[in-house]
Amino acid sequence: MKKSFAFISLLIVFVGMEFVAFSQQQRFPKPEFESGYTQPVTSMPAPRDGMFAILDVMVLIAALSLITWFILKRRSRSGVVAVSIFSILYFGFFREGCVCSVGSLQNVVLALFNPGYHIPLSALAFFVIPLVYTLFFGRTFCAGVCPLGAVQDVFLMRPVTLKKWLQKVLGLIPYIYLGLSVLYAATASDFIICRYDPFVGIFRFNATFFMFAIGAAFLLISIFIARPYCRFFCPYGVILNLVSRVSKNHLTITPSNCIQCKLCESSCPLDAINKPVAVKQMEDKRAATRRFILLSLIIPALMIVGGWTGANFHENLAKVNSKVRLADELLHFDSKTMKESLEIEGFRTSGKPAKELYLEASEIVKQFYYGGWILGAFIGLVIGLALSGLSTYRYREDYTPDKGNCVSCARCLKYCPVEKD
Amino acid sequence: MTNKFKIKRTNLSLWKGIAMVAGTFSFVICMLVLVNYIQINRVDPVNTEVINSLVDRLNDNSNDEALREQIREMDLLVRKAYFTNQWQIKAGGYLFLFGIIVTAIALQLYYAGKQQLPQISDKEEENIILFRENARKWIIVGGFGMVGLTLLFAFLTHKELGNQFSEAASIAIIGQVDNNSEAIPLVEVGVKEDIAEIVIEEENVAVEKEQALEEESASPQAKEEATVVAEKSETKKNSYKGMYPTKEMMANFPSFRGPAGNGIAYQKNIPNEWDGASGKNILWKQPVPIHAYNSPVIWGDKLFLSGASATNREVYCYDRNNGKLLWTAKANQIGGTPVKSPEVTADTGHAASTVATDGNSVFAIFSNGDVLAVDMSGKTKWEKNLGVPDNHYGHSSSLLVFEDKLIVQYDQKKNSKVMALATSSGDELWSTPRKVRVSWASPVIVQNGDQVEVLLAADPCVASYDVQTGKELWKLDCITGEVGPSVAYANGIVFALNEYASLVAIKPGVNPEILWEAYDYLSDVPSPIAYKDLLFVVTSYGAVACYNAKAGEILWEKEFDAGFYASPILVDGKIYLMDRDGVMHIFKAEKEYVAVATSALGEKSDASPAFADGRVYIRGAKNLYCIGK
Repeated sequence: MKKSFAFISLLIVFVGMEFVAFSQQQRFPKPEFESGYTQPVTSMPAPRDGMFAILDVMVLIAALSLITWFILKRRSRSGVVAVSIFSILYFGFFREGCVCSVGSLQNVVLALFNPGYHIPLSALAFFVIPLVYTLFFGRTFCAGVCPLGAVQDVFLMRPVTLKKWLQKVLGLIPYIYLGLSVLYAATASDFIICRYDPFVGIFRFNATFFMFAIGAAFLLISIFIARPYCRFFCPYGVILNLVSRVSKNHLTITPSNCIQCKLCESSCPLDAINKPVAVKQMEDKRAATRRFILLSLIIPALMIVGGWTGANFHENLAKVNSKVRLADELLHFDSKTMKESLEIEGFRTSGKPAKELYLEASEIVKQFYYGGWILGAFIGLVIGLALSGLSTYRYREDYTPDKGNCVSCARCLKYCPVEKD
Repeated sequence: MTNKFKIKRTNLSLWKGIAMVAGTFSFVICMLVLVNYIQINRVDPVNTEVINSLVDRLNDNSNDEALREQIREMDLLVRKAYFTNQWQIKAGGYLFLFGIIVTAIALQLYYAGKQQLPQISDKEEENIILFRENARKWIIVGGFGMVGLTLLFAFLTHKELGNQFSEAASIAIIGQVDNNSEAIPLVEVGVKEDIAEIVIEEENVAVEKEQALEEESASPQAKEEATVVAEKSETKKNSYKGMYPTKEMMANFPSFRGPAGNGIAYQKNIPNEWDGASGKNILWKQPVPIHAYNSPVIWGDKLFLSGASATNREVYCYDRNNGKLLWTAKANQIGGTPVKSPEVTADTGHAASTVATDGNSVFAIFSNGDVLAVDMSGKTKWEKNLGVPDNHYGHSSSLLVFEDKLIVQYDQKKNSKVMALATSSGDELWSTPRKVRVSWASPVIVQNGDQVEVLLAADPCVASYDVQTGKELWKLDCITGEVGPSVAYANGIVFALNEYASLVAIKPGVNPEILWEAYDYLSDVPSPIAYKDLLFVVTSYGAVACYNAKAGEILWEKEFDAGFYASPILVDGKIYLMDRDGVMHIFKAEKEYVAVATSALGEKSDASPAFADGRVYIRGAKNLYCIGK
């Protein structure tokens, strides 16, 4: 009870701080525009000064170290919950979800493809540091440091288990989202992870009605399905999943030897516990091997089909780019029959020659053509690897966490009756 | 072994109760916020049916003060309701969030208390072969479905976008080449047509009468010849053969930012050093009865400025040799003047506009639209009210005189216009409506060949008007926001800028063009100066930059501690720039920053200096100073 009160007190303090910021905003409301122009919701808040950016990185490292200690040394779920609430308050409401590691992926891609863009060191740190921790300790970042995961975790109350095959199919969506976000960041078109982040609008209190509805829907689903965004959408989770598979000191359900008591079997709301696989459960080895080879061989074909599909779809992909959209609008604009949009008016008054815009747009469309090929091939590769991976069987005796999918939330730990030697 | 499975018992009914109350509270708040959101989306506070109909009624009867007041009150009410709604949504959002958090915590604690001991499942072992089969099947179905849908959508919307853009770019290039080749003759024809139109419009009454008499007696052929001759002579008459600003104006300092309002004064041997605290080089210092932000102007031995409060509006004349207040003219009994002065902000005041003089009269304008013409001895020649300008900070555009015309830039929220009043009588000689938003900039008059143009800046355009007729000569949409700085002009290039917009260099003409554009240094109050090939931009936050006027590159930039509201004045090859603390920064108008002197007035000032006979005249917050050796 004391802990609960402590949490609530902390919460009230932070909400109070937000109210101060809110009242300041009210004193200086945004200007109104008589033209009907509505101010867009910004994708990211103002950057922090050097010192504060370093402070954020230090807080990230401290939170990661603390939660890792709670998970691996103390094996404490309460510790994870405490850090989760801190992260929601600090990285979520106080820092308004920016810089976040999930979005920093785009900064890294933009920096790689655009030599003119200098990535802020804090963004780079937010991208790299969780990866390093994951490489050594598993996805402790997802456990409670990422405010997006933490906020979903807080809402989880009545977990239901989804069909395994459905989880596998939905689990491919983050790869597609990752591919798209890389494509848009590489072409300097948009940071779609930030734009369509369902929770930052709530953290910042400036969500559009549509994005607020999406965020609320995710939180409602979170009551029954554990971390739907992390599992079925998060593109950064894809990278953490891959890195975590080779993590050195990943969380173990049992602190010693598994006694096969089965008590932990249903404890994971993410269904990320690998159950023992007996030989009798496996498919006939020869048939499985044949299928594996066949599916592996068709991967290049899947990549070509995917690439070709992506290349055909490149015009639609390119329309996310504001220059392409404007050029398209300008091309089909008829001043006699159509009313000039604010975008066209803005372009006209900028004095920039139309040919320059068309040439730029044409170049961007070309980039998307090649990008479409690469994106499609990547999706084809992911589907091919998923299919062939589903034809392999691994013998297992104990209950172990699925290192890739396990977010180290530490719920399973208290189900294990085994004490440390 | 300790019992790890001990369930912590919590007060289930308490947490259940809290969760229910908080949940219901959140739901109610959510519904209220939704209703508010829908409401706020349906109401446009600046375009309500009731107010619009009242405004229409007011337009029919512009003297109905009661109706005007009623509109103001209703407008305030609607705006208040709008902002209250916005506030409610925001505050509701916070309450909703708070409710949801409490609900979540209570439910978590409730479910934690209801936890059961872990059960061992009796289910048969999972059929992993079936799971994998199903997963493969649905991945294949999903993959094919995605490819199918993507291709279908791609083919339905395919339009060779890249090729279309390439073709459009090449067409645009060809079009540009064609336009360029035709540009010169087109401009010439346009100018000729314009002049011909002006000729017809500008026929004066005497000529008309003469023509009417001649028409009665002359034959048709003679009539035709007479008309041709008249047109030719009118064309000649309309083209300005004089020089503007005149030598007389240049010898004085007749208006805001000097003769023609371009930021340049023509005096020599101006002192650089003074100190208000010790009295060094301060020849005299006189208090100004009513404070205002306008700057002094000078004609002969007389110096003029104005002051106003919500109740009093005055013009002052000082003997610039000894600082004696010669006379005060009041503008308090003008017909049509509203009883109550408009609301103005403290940093604008009721007399932000600088007076102007032509050597015969002094002209002043105030925040309530009162215009006053006083002769050189302080006797009122004429006075009139132009209607209260709808300006939320307060009217601040200064006046300029061209020959017998007093030019007034009257940009307001609705019905903006520029007009010329007869300096002798105050009668309106011409008035041209302007489709612009309210602005605070002042007019600049430039002579462009045989044409004299009034240059004005206001959101969304920089525009030029024929000073003789008020006809709009050209305009270019290139400026946005609450425009405060006036334009600068040199060597056939017009420079305009505003904070949050851009700095633009415009090649004027029938088809004006933007020569270059920059965003580094923008101003919201002080105006720029263009001189030879240099452009000096001063910002209100204390930065000063010098640009290459032709290419737009920055030649130098300098940060000062205090900000600037006063516009700089170029005189004798130096720029005099007064900061908000009353310190004059003097530097050379050159390609490199060369400081000449820094002289403190000893009191704050936001006014531009005036110059005459080797002396500097500065209006401080309280006193008027004469500086010389």
